[in-house]
Amino acid sequence: MSISSFYGLQTSLRGLLAQQRALDTTGHNIANASTKGYSRQQAVMAASPGLAIASGAVQGGAGAHIGSGVDIQAYRRVRDTFLDLQYRAQATRLGQEAGRAEGLDRAELALAEPSDNGINKQLSDFWDAWSNLSEAPPDQAAREALVEQAKTLAEAFATVDQQLELVGQQARSEFDSLTQAGGELEQISNEIVALNDTIRRFVTAGDAPNDLMDQRDLLLDRLSELGQTSITDNGDGSVSVTFGATGTPMIDATGFHFQAPATLANAGGRLGALQTLSNVPGGELDSYRLELGQVATSIAAAVNQVYDHAGDGTNFFTTTGPYAAGTMALAAGVTAATVRTGTTGEADDNKLALQISELRGDAPDGAYRAFIARVGSEVREATRNEANAQALTDAVMDRRDSVAGVSLDEEMGSLVRFQRAYQASARAMSTMDEMLDVLINRTGRVGL
Amino acid sequence: MSSRITTGMVQRNVLADLNRVNAALTRTQEKLSSNREITKPSDDPFNAARALQLRESLAGTQQYQRNIQDTMGWQETSEQAFSQMTSAIAQVKELLVQGSSDSVDAGSREAIAKEVDQLLLSIKESANATYQGRYVFSGTRTNQAPYPLPEPVAPNQDVFQGSPQQIERQIGPGVTIEVSVSVSGVLGEGQGPSDGRIIDNLRDIAEHLRSGDAASLRGADMSGLDANLESLLGLRAVNGSRQNRLEAALTRLSEVEESTFKQLSETEDADMAKTLIDFNSQQVAYQAALKAGANIVQVSLMDFLR
Repeated sequence: MSISSFYGLQTSLRGLLAQQRALDTTGHNIANASTKGYSRQQAVMAASPGLAIASGAVQGGAGAHIGSGVDIQAYRRVRDTFLDLQYRAQATRLGQEAGRAEGLDRAELALAEPSDNGINKQLSDFWDAWSNLSEAPPDQAAREALVEQAKTLAEAFATVDQQLELVGQQARSEFDSLTQAGGELEQISNEIVALNDTIRRFVTAGDAPNDLMDQRDLLLDRLSELGQTSITDNGDGSVSVTFGATGTPMIDATGFHFQAPATLANAGGRLGALQTLSNVPGGELDSYRLELGQVATSIAAAVNQVYDHAGDGTNFFTTTGPYAAGTMALAAGVTAATVRTGTTGEADDNKLALQISELRGDAPDGAYRAFIARVGSEVREATRNEANAQALTDAVMDRRDSVAGVSLDEEMGSLVRFQRAYQASARAMSTMDEMLDVLINRTGRVGL
Repeated sequence: MSSRITTGMVQRNVLADLNRVNAALTRTQEKLSSNREITKPSDDPFNAARALQLRESLAGTQQYQRNIQDTMGWQETSEQAFSQMTSAIAQVKELLVQGSSDSVDAGSREAIAKEVDQLLLSIKESANATYQGRYVFSGTRTNQAPYPLPEPVAPNQDVFQGSPQQIERQIGPGVTIEVSVSVSGVLGEGQGPSDGRIIDNLRDIAEHLRSGDAASLRGADMSGLDANLESLLGLRAVNGSRQNRLEAALTRLSEVEESTFKQLSETEDADMAKTLIDFNSQQVAYQAALKAGANIVQVSLMDFLR
């Protein structure tokens, strides 16, 4: 069996076309070198099915396959889904640690310690005011100063309490705005649902919509920063997503189903952090407010115990409830004129003032300092955890980029490689052409 | 693992490194400009709490020092009053020696008796000494003169009006000192209870001068006056020893203040030399990172392909 003289032209043409597609893909990679979430693509080439010759192709009469050039088999997305899983787990952790560190950092700022405006300084000035008053009980200025300082102290407690509450409320409202209808969680999910549909249609038709899949992976990354996600491939190109440790279904083949409850169980991620911060009761900021309340209560109780020497219920401070820092105030009837300095009512009786100023450095002061140390340690721990999570996330991201990222050097190399291959295919084609030229135009012209 | 290094990775890592060095640099700069090692509790939770405690005990020490200064003023006022009383008693004693002589006639004795009356008044005036408008010898009843002048009519004219409760001052953590002294024990309540104290003594002397009872003047009155002078000096010594105690406490407190201040500074303040060295080395690191980053990010295969 003879083979067509034009056979080689077709082989070269396939080469030209394949190299051109490969160059196109390289151009696509270069164009997307800095696109977020983009995975590099490869035009996968394979030799096209050879021309089978049943017999007589070689000496001895046996058949053979003659090479017919190259085909593009697929445009492959280079990506390691295992690294995606790792990345998302780290992103969830980073989202959680970063959210926590942010909230606690704000709480720490609210304390304004150490400074001349913090509670520690006001408390110290408060004891000073009592000591000054014990020096000169009848002195109107000293009495005014004490009453004013007591008010300032109560205000300092109230301000810190309000600030802590505010930080908690901010965390709660961020949580709400993320989870409410039309919030970021739903927006991302809806985009994923839409992409799911499109991708499924292409995949069922045997196509691989690489760039759409990249977009969907990027959205899944963002989702995993918000909370713990678990992603299953449905086999038809679409994915299902469940949310939180308990696996609440969020996205499946039919769409988005997620009713954000007031509290998510073990959500993890940024949502989990916001929730742990803002929960009332039991949230971290709530526990700060309660501890500050205890400090305020113990200060008020210590002062009142001395002040109410007769046991008739005449108090200096009043506090109510567990959030006592916010409610601390001077008891009704305590004014510069009426403030008690002693037990007898004689002009210079300073017995009570002395006893109260002796409270300086006692248990309540210590409790406040312990509170500051606790907040400090927790903020420090949160910051360190965030840095750790960031380092791990960066490491996984590097590994993922190492597989999927675009290296411009590599693409430049590919560019040269495919360009040369294209040129060579063209040369092969012109060689065929010259051969045919000889055959057609110069053969059989003997004697002309 | 032999890894592909991609363009995005290089850029991200360069940026992350720059940020990290920059953050450290900012922190050091903060330390330099505030001169504080600790600006937030989380910088060093243990030392932050310690610094708070030291600040408070420093404030307390300064408060005790102010208390002592004020107490010393009070003590000086008492001391001056005692000094005046002592010299008045000395004068009475001279007059007593003069008046108890048999050679003095009734007119002269009357004149001497009048002088004794005046000295008694001056002793009462001294006992009514005030510090910042408060009677120092009235116990806690400082708004009330211990011996009101002009004198009320008998029998209340010599009754002590102050309080038996004395005033205390805080001069250290858990340390108090009595600032007022009870003069009623020395001055007494006059002839009513006839207690033999200074006022009773002086009233007796004036009476005996007027009646010409030279025997009593030389006997009981003279020995009584000596005994009263003794107890007045005793009281003055108590006051003086308190002053010594206050001075000792003041010295000790200023030493405590100094050492607390030093501890606070060691806990809270930045070590300038170390911080400056840190700052310089971080700055060098930052510049190196910038330069390396700029070079790495710039160069690619494109620079070498034609």
